[in-house]
Amino acid sequence: MSAQEMEMVAPAATREAGRGAGTGILSVQGIGKRFGGLVALNDVSLEVERGSVTGVIGPNGSGKSTLFNIIAGTLRPDRGRVFLNGRDTTRASPAEICRGGVGRTFQISRLFGEMTVLENLVAIAHGASDPEAVERALELLDFLEVAHLRDKWGSELSYGQRKLVEIARALMLRPTVMLLDEPFAGINPRLQNRIVDHLEVLRRRGLTLFFIDHEMRIVLEICHTVHVLAQGEVIASGPADAVRTDPKVKEAYF
Amino acid sequence: MKATLVMGTACILAAVLPFVGSEYVLSFTVQLYVFVALAYSWNLIGGYAGYTHFGQVAFFGVGAYTGALMMDAGFHWLVAAAAAGLSGALLALPLGGAMLRVKGPFFAIGMFGMARVCESFALGFDNITQGGTGIYLLPVSDLKPLYFTLAAIALGLVLLTWRLDNSRLGLQLLAIREDETAADALGVRTTRLKIGAFVVSAIAPGAVGSLYATYLSFIDPMTAFAPMTELTTIAMVLLGGMGTVFGPLIGVLAMSVVNELLWSRFPEIYLAIVGVVILFVVLWMPRGIVSFLAHRQWSWVPVARGSLRRLASRPRIAARPKEAH
Repeated sequence: MSAQEMEMVAPAATREAGRGAGTGILSVQGIGKRFGGLVALNDVSLEVERGSVTGVIGPNGSGKSTLFNIIAGTLRPDRGRVFLNGRDTTRASPAEICRGGVGRTFQISRLFGEMTVLENLVAIAHGASDPEAVERALELLDFLEVAHLRDKWGSELSYGQRKLVEIARALMLRPTVMLLDEPFAGINPRLQNRIVDHLEVLRRRGLTLFFIDHEMRIVLEICHTVHVLAQGEVIASGPADAVRTDPKVKEAYF
Repeated sequence: MKATLVMGTACILAAVLPFVGSEYVLSFTVQLYVFVALAYSWNLIGGYAGYTHFGQVAFFGVGAYTGALMMDAGFHWLVAAAAAGLSGALLALPLGGAMLRVKGPFFAIGMFGMARVCESFALGFDNITQGGTGIYLLPVSDLKPLYFTLAAIALGLVLLTWRLDNSRLGLQLLAIREDETAADALGVRTTRLKIGAFVVSAIAPGAVGSLYATYLSFIDPMTAFAPMTELTTIAMVLLGGMGTVFGPLIGVLAMSVVNELLWSRFPEIYLAIVGVVILFVVLWMPRGIVSFLAHRQWSWVPVARGSLRRLASRPRIAARPKEAH
């Protein structure tokens, strides 16, 4: 890997490592969230190690999306705290969290439809000059092998193309952590494998990947650590193999 | 390049018009400039940021009254117009902070309500505003300075929009329009941007309101806060293309010319015909004439937001070998 490639996706800095609570780059501590009478999350704690691939799985209604939205700042928890890069981001806005080094993709595509793919990427290149932003956008489109879509309108893309462009867009701000909301849902296995390959390259370059998904095959295949959520609680955590054979997980999920 | 040429020709035409044109042509052009200023201002918040609303006439009316009261007190009409522009911004700041929390129909109708509130203030505080009687002003002897002031405001807004359209700021406003939640999650400072756009969109309507009062040498609540002004402005932007550089201009020109032609020939049914024309355009080109043409990518249509594409098409400085994996 050349120095330039390193620069392209490597974390902005590890300057804040070790500060604050928790050992990981992302630390979720005792999060609780209720919607009316429904307990969505009950005392969830988990750590995401720097440079790891960490997944959260769980059946529908287990609280995965709620947890994800709390980490990304779109929901406020009732209890508990979230630390990103050692900084307390529990009360931070989504924009602040993003500018603090967190890229995210969405479960349902949220590309800007009436903007071209290039504009989708450049629009959020905060702090970079126009030529820099364009240069970086082209590099990322190249990297994800979607450079030919550059001048297409967001609304023209197919479902799978949107997923790839969304990943490129999330990488524009050189995040240290990527939050991927069901990146493999509803796409064919060929494209799933392509995305897995891209994510693996990104991880080797130092990016931390955190995602939630239903796709057991991929989650167990690529994750170092898997957390299993059921009814708002983490019922199992650990390496994929250990989780796979955990009797509690079998009971809740299979 | 072609766009620059067309704009240049238009500017020269506008510059010589008051010296050669008839009274009728002059009054038609003044109306045109007023609507260009209103349409471009509305385009900033309604077209780019996607916060469409029916309350812009509130700024026009408040500006008209601010200006009229100042001229009544003896200030020059230019000073009054500047103060009126400021009054628009000062009104928009708290209004935006409060109203921009709601989206879609709630914001659109809420702003319509705000305009009605302003109108009833103008009617009710009759010891200041003379109520329904209106304020009569001394007519200006020479309309040319007024004409050029309005032309400068109109041109300024076109240029401002052109700059915005080719900037990151413009893209971020469009991102708010397309998906505000996603824009926020991707680090766009949405609240700040939309309130900023809203405040800027209120300056020109305020100033133009005052200039219009100068032009009529009269203002009353019916004229200042006329819903027809609002609806015509919005129809023009819709027709030309919301969130585009040349859309409002084309919309204003098309509708003014159609209006003028039909009004003289079919005075009884001209509004009905205008309505049908708008209906068909919206059905066939829901995003307006300019967006319709831009999506066709015809070579003679200036492609909006071309600057990024030009940057991207430059030969790359450091072309990377394609990664094998």
